[in-house]
Amino acid sequence: METTPSDLGLAARVTHLGKTYGSSSTAVTALDDVSIGIRRGQFTAIMGPSGSGKSTLMHIMAGLDTATSGQAWLGDTEISGLADAALTVLRRRRIGFIFQAFNLVPTLDVRGNILLPFSLDGRKPTSAESDWIAQLTESLGLGDRLTHRPHELSGGQQQRVAIARALATRPELVFADEPTGNLDSRTGREVLTLLKAASTGYGQTIAMVTHDPVAASYADRILFLADGRLVEDRDKSSAEEISRIMLGMEQRA
Amino acid sequence: MSAATRTRRNDHAGRGASVLVAGLASAFGVVLLQVTSMIGTIVSASGMTDVGAVRTALDLVAFLFIAIAVYVSAIVTTNTVATIIAGRTRTIALMRLIGSSARAQRRVVATDGLTVGAIGAVAGALIGTLLSFAGLRMLVATGVLPDLDYTLIEPLLALPVAVVVLSTWAAAWVGSRRVLGVSPMQAVGAAEERSREDTVRRPARTVIAVLLMGAGILLLAGGVVVGQVAPEGVLLGLLGGILSFSGLVLGSHLIMPPILALAGRVLGGSAPARLAAANAQRHPERSARATIGLVIGVTLITMFAVAGSTFEVMMQRTMEDPVLQAAISETVATSLAVISVLVGFSALIAAVGMVNNLAQSVLQRSREIGLLRALGFTATQVRWMILAESLQMAAAAVAFGLVLGVFYGWAAAQSLFGAVTMGGLTAPAVPWLLVVGCVVGTVLLAVAATLVPARRAVSVAPVTALAAA
Repeated sequence: METTPSDLGLAARVTHLGKTYGSSSTAVTALDDVSIGIRRGQFTAIMGPSGSGKSTLMHIMAGLDTATSGQAWLGDTEISGLADAALTVLRRRRIGFIFQAFNLVPTLDVRGNILLPFSLDGRKPTSAESDWIAQLTESLGLGDRLTHRPHELSGGQQQRVAIARALATRPELVFADEPTGNLDSRTGREVLTLLKAASTGYGQTIAMVTHDPVAASYADRILFLADGRLVEDRDKSSAEEISRIMLGMEQRA
Repeated sequence: MSAATRTRRNDHAGRGASVLVAGLASAFGVVLLQVTSMIGTIVSASGMTDVGAVRTALDLVAFLFIAIAVYVSAIVTTNTVATIIAGRTRTIALMRLIGSSARAQRRVVATDGLTVGAIGAVAGALIGTLLSFAGLRMLVATGVLPDLDYTLIEPLLALPVAVVVLSTWAAAWVGSRRVLGVSPMQAVGAAEERSREDTVRRPARTVIAVLLMGAGILLLAGGVVVGQVAPEGVLLGLLGGILSFSGLVLGSHLIMPPILALAGRVLGGSAPARLAAANAQRHPERSARATIGLVIGVTLITMFAVAGSTFEVMMQRTMEDPVLQAAISETVATSLAVISVLVGFSALIAAVGMVNNLAQSVLQRSREIGLLRALGFTATQVRWMILAESLQMAAAAVAFGLVLGVFYGWAAAQSLFGAVTMGGLTAPAVPWLLVVGCVVGTVLLAVAATLVPARRAVSVAPVTALAAA
């Protein structure tokens, strides 16, 4: 019998993934034979310079984009062949997102934004889920902000709402795309500490795309991409080490 | 799609709608005057002596309806321009940043309005004339009309064309007021949306609107009372009607949002419906302007219909002779049919404005729609959200217009004919066919309005949400 990704302790996995844009003569290769697994319960950073393919990789793993070749799994579900409707339901129920630009719905208040994944699914949170959300909003310091609208909040507060929204459904995997990119360094560190705590405290699997070595130093594991290929796979490292690896990649290029 | 092409498409869509609106108004004016002229020719051929007076009366009626159409199209154009500018804030801010003055930026928008108005008005006049000509030839060929020496082209036609050009220009000028509020800093940081509180708090406008409405309603009531003894009551009533309705249009940014909220609640509590309800109220001024045109159209149609039907009921109560009764019913029915078509045209122009508003708002929200798609909104849910927004706006406008129309129509009939019946007040007679027609029309309009915007919304890729701001 074939080994399933979950047997390997993986929340998500891609094998021999390739992605090219454009047609033959002007084709650009964004990903070239990438095989990686995101370990369950871990905080993984995906690093690389601009154009390394890290965003494309995340888009494919999150079911937002399709690969040209290779396979992608979320848990034991192969998502590379799924149609749009199935991918939509998968994103809604099994994946959480945190974006660089916060991306809250401006017409909804904080509570509405946090509960959005449930209302999109056409259901109310169960009492266990409600308890979890209450605990979450409390620990993120949003308890007294629930009726505020996004434009009444600071950037750091908005990002905390986005984190609450991403964690609310306890998804199998949370993707964070440069989550500190729009924040000052102190607020950015707070957000990273919260993500780290979600991983160690609740066993939440998180995959974070970033090009900031300080952000990556909060992760349990760091994958380095360059020119569409996986070039390094490190366990927890300091910001200095990560910077050195990044510089080395630049010099080789 | 890059930001630049998106902006270009934005401009393009808005300009197309403005050309269409100007064209419709101009074509309507030209055709109406040409039909008036044809009727004049037929009347003079029939040997009537007082041809000049007939022609003047017909022209007056024609200009009344042209004025309504131009008024509605000016509201629509103002709204379109304001909407386009809201979507172009960053570009304008960038121009300001590199040294262009706010006034120069505004002049660009206004000049654009002049061009759009001129193109639309001339094209509309040409197409209208062609239609008149073809229609006339067909009617003469089939023997419906006598073969006379009709003059379709006359100097008077220049009037509606000029009015449309000038009103489009003025509307663009008024709509471009927002340009002055754009700060160069908005090109640097993320542009903040104006919150609801900011837009609603406009004391002078609110006070004037309330005063107009109060005075208008008092005059209207006075008209109804005076009308019980003398038909001159209609003059009071007319003044009251114009004042109160102007107050209503001026205060629409206060009146429409609660009505929209009410209409939104009817749609249910699903996520798409709730998001749609919130969206329709997000820019109260904008949705008020988008819907007020339709309110005006529906109010006018209903007003004439209710006034006619109420008049019919009043007359039949005073007249015993069944032959006379039948004659009155027929006259009322014919006049109402003609008036409905004439006012219906203004409603059509208002509908164009509403459709355009929806299309623009979808274009400007592609990032947010992308986010919803990424979080698990299905294509069907996105489509339903857009449809719900459209239904909500159309339903609010039609419901409000029906209520207003019944009230104004009843007041008109009472103040003009109250003295004739001498039997106290008559309850307003509502032609139910009209109500059904309005409701069906609303649903059709709402659905048709969403075809293009919904397709655009569904084609927004979820990845759009992940692009950096």
